[in-house]
Amino acid sequence: MDNSSGVAGREPQGDISVLIAGEAGDGILFTSNVLAKVLKRHGWEALTCRDFPSNIRGEPSSTIIRASRRPLLGRPDKVDIILAFDCQRCRQLIRFIRPGGIVLCEGEEEAPCGQHPPAAFSFYRFHMRKEAREKFGSELFKNMIVLGGLGYLFGLDQTVLDSVITEMFLKKKGRAVVDINLRAVALGYQKARELVPEEKRTSLGRKLDAGRLVLSGDEAIAFGALAAGCRFFAAYPICPASEIWQWLALNFPEFQGLVVQTEDELAALNMALGAAYAGARAMTSTSGPGGSLMMEAFSLAGMAEIPVVIAHVQRVGPSTGIPTKTEQSDLTQWVFGAHGDFPRIILAPGTLEECFDFTVAAFNLAEMYQCPVVLLTEEDMGQNSRTTPDFDLGRVTVDRGRLLTERDLAGLAEFKRYAITPDGISPRSLPSQRGGLHMVEGNEHNEKGFRQEDAANRVRMTEKRMRKLETCRKDLPPPRRWGEGGAAIGFLTIGSVLGAVLEAGEELRRRGHETKTLQIRTLWPFPGREVSEFLSLCRRAFVVENNFSGQLHTLIRSQVCPELELKKVLNYSAQPFAPADIIRAVLGDRT
Amino acid sequence: MRKKEDFQFDKPTWCRGCGLYGVLEALKRAAAALDLEPENMVIVTGIGCHGRLNSHFRAFGFHGLHGRVLPLASGVKLANSRLTVAGVSGDGDAYSIGMGHFIHAVRKNIGLTLVVVDNRIYGLTQGQTSPTSSLGFRSISTPFGSKEYPLDGLKLALAAGGSFISRGFSGEVGPLAGLMEQALSHKGFSLVEVLSPCVTHNSVNTYGWFRSRLLKVEQEPGYDPADIRKAWALLDREDRLPVGLVFRREKAAFQEMVLEGRDLALAAADLRPDRARLEKIMEKFR
Repeated sequence: MDNSSGVAGREPQGDISVLIAGEAGDGILFTSNVLAKVLKRHGWEALTCRDFPSNIRGEPSSTIIRASRRPLLGRPDKVDIILAFDCQRCRQLIRFIRPGGIVLCEGEEEAPCGQHPPAAFSFYRFHMRKEAREKFGSELFKNMIVLGGLGYLFGLDQTVLDSVITEMFLKKKGRAVVDINLRAVALGYQKARELVPEEKRTSLGRKLDAGRLVLSGDEAIAFGALAAGCRFFAAYPICPASEIWQWLALNFPEFQGLVVQTEDELAALNMALGAAYAGARAMTSTSGPGGSLMMEAFSLAGMAEIPVVIAHVQRVGPSTGIPTKTEQSDLTQWVFGAHGDFPRIILAPGTLEECFDFTVAAFNLAEMYQCPVVLLTEEDMGQNSRTTPDFDLGRVTVDRGRLLTERDLAGLAEFKRYAITPDGISPRSLPSQRGGLHMVEGNEHNEKGFRQEDAANRVRMTEKRMRKLETCRKDLPPPRRWGEGGAAIGFLTIGSVLGAVLEAGEELRRRGHETKTLQIRTLWPFPGREVSEFLSLCRRAFVVENNFSGQLHTLIRSQVCPELELKKVLNYSAQPFAPADIIRAVLGDRT
Repeated sequence: MRKKEDFQFDKPTWCRGCGLYGVLEALKRAAAALDLEPENMVIVTGIGCHGRLNSHFRAFGFHGLHGRVLPLASGVKLANSRLTVAGVSGDGDAYSIGMGHFIHAVRKNIGLTLVVVDNRIYGLTQGQTSPTSSLGFRSISTPFGSKEYPLDGLKLALAAGGSFISRGFSGEVGPLAGLMEQALSHKGFSLVEVLSPCVTHNSVNTYGWFRSRLLKVEQEPGYDPADIRKAWALLDREDRLPVGLVFRREKAAFQEMVLEGRDLALAAADLRPDRARLEKIMEKFR
């Protein structure tokens, strides 16, 4: 994290971040989620950015929590506070401290951690473990002490922190547990106050918190699925997609939905296809290698024209890669992967609202166009919590496409499941419907669904299926433009990289470089016209994405022929982009 | 009452004498005997010569991927448990590429019938050795004899907690139809393995070969399909091929447990967004 490009320090009053560093199993995720919620209730925008190992215990684990006045944040490249559970972690991460920042470390070593000059930051010994052990009889309470300590350093209202913790524990654990936790929080406030003088801490203050939520992308997708009428979910456990499943498993029963754990991802997608064929709105979710196993049934969904939704939360690959960290390297797998030609729709939400809205849209698109729809996100979006404006539940609609009723079927002289139509969409019947009997074929078939291999039929049926890709364009999320239309510098990006790109754009503007951004939200069918138009209005264009080879870059280049050179800004460090990474790339570009 | 002709559709194109004719005939007889409505039946097939079966059986049909009969059929059953769902698979489809699904569908006791048409060879791909081919079996894939031991699907099903385990012979359609009838009315997972000669590619395991090795369990003195020790002993016999209902036990089916208390099939759910309930859920994220 070289900061030599000299990105200006943020005003602590407008933007503050803390890095909590410990080991896996320390409860850092819980702590950061509570803090995000408390920050939201103070009217601030919040982002958590987890950096976890893929094991349960013992390896280094950390999270950054950032609070800001502006929404759509990127990962900060420096933090104002580091809170470390031991000296070793403190030494590893102290390079992230902003000049003048505060470092709290539990460690027992004499000297402050690291080789930094004493004036670079203020260093304090903060004994969260020891206090937890001595005062409350268990180290488990260290996280409450940490929350109290951070509450003091951020200048948070203790009653807000108390109420969030009470909400979390009262129902499940009872009043006694709540009380002891709140005492630990109070101790955290007190200990931090004794250590850090008032003038060194920040005071965030409270603003109105209206109409906002704090959640992860996985949760937003799961909630979207529920709202869209998804009632069947089959999946195999995999990081970082399992939170979609966990949320649905808790919330489905009330809505008469069913979650099934399958033996593998082959079964997961096939089972979802079976349920969708039988008439349920069905979904699966996966990541990395799980997506590869689904490629086979992905093609079947295309050939048999079954509406199904697949949420793929990308992680670092190839192979097992780094399962708990972020990357955008499965993009070409979903856009170009799988055997054979078939229509598919690939959506890439870049905000939490889009995670929700696009999931609702995905179920409608799948049924309207009878094809597989993929929601492609990444670990950074899927697992990190962010603040977001409320989801617009009034916009939720259910469109089941050309699904026939028994009355419709009775009026037909002959029902042909794969009838050739001008828009490529063939009306569908469901098992159990009178007059709806039909055959669904993974082999090439005729209009009635029976296997037929002659050339004329093959051409007709291929064209019928592929016509849906053109028909559906009008209903797909178009690319979204951000920034000044006349700007010379253009960014093209996808998914959660958006936050860092927009933030970089703001900083570049302060330095005299106007930028604009095209957020590509439908990857397939590719919005070639809009991308060409955007590129024709740029003097310099950068494709910003989280992978080594530039998969979005490859996709764009395969679909449009821009006159200008498309430059790549890549990050394959297993970390989300920090705005500074993008600024450095633009300023360092000599053309 | 329905007749077996009600389930007839078109004329099959399998090789003359193929065991699949017997399988198709038995399935039609069983469906007729149970008075099933074609609209309430879904037949899912895999890849292999058996995969043509649902083109000739008048019901809802889904011809999917090689080896994926069971997850596909499970999805159908769970989305609408009122349907009678049968999978038709082959020895390659169910016991090789689909084995992972086989064990887990048996274990979960999902309420569908799996008919495994076992011809001990890959017929559609012109005759390769299959997981049920015997040691030393010569084929285009093992011209010098197979060096692999065959597996026994019935033993695997028994070990995985199967609740209905049976085997029939496509040369004896009457008893096979009887087994299928029982299997289709079983609430949990039911396996009907069918010894079924491939007359084109397998010159070893012929009708005569199978017939001379059959051991009809209902003729075994004192045999009780509820007795698991007797079932193991029967399946352990290396000289004979037991046919009939080998094992049956009552245990709750997966769909009965996971769909308990639901009034409607998942596929029939009212999907109109319930704004008030969704608002309540959104509150949890504040």
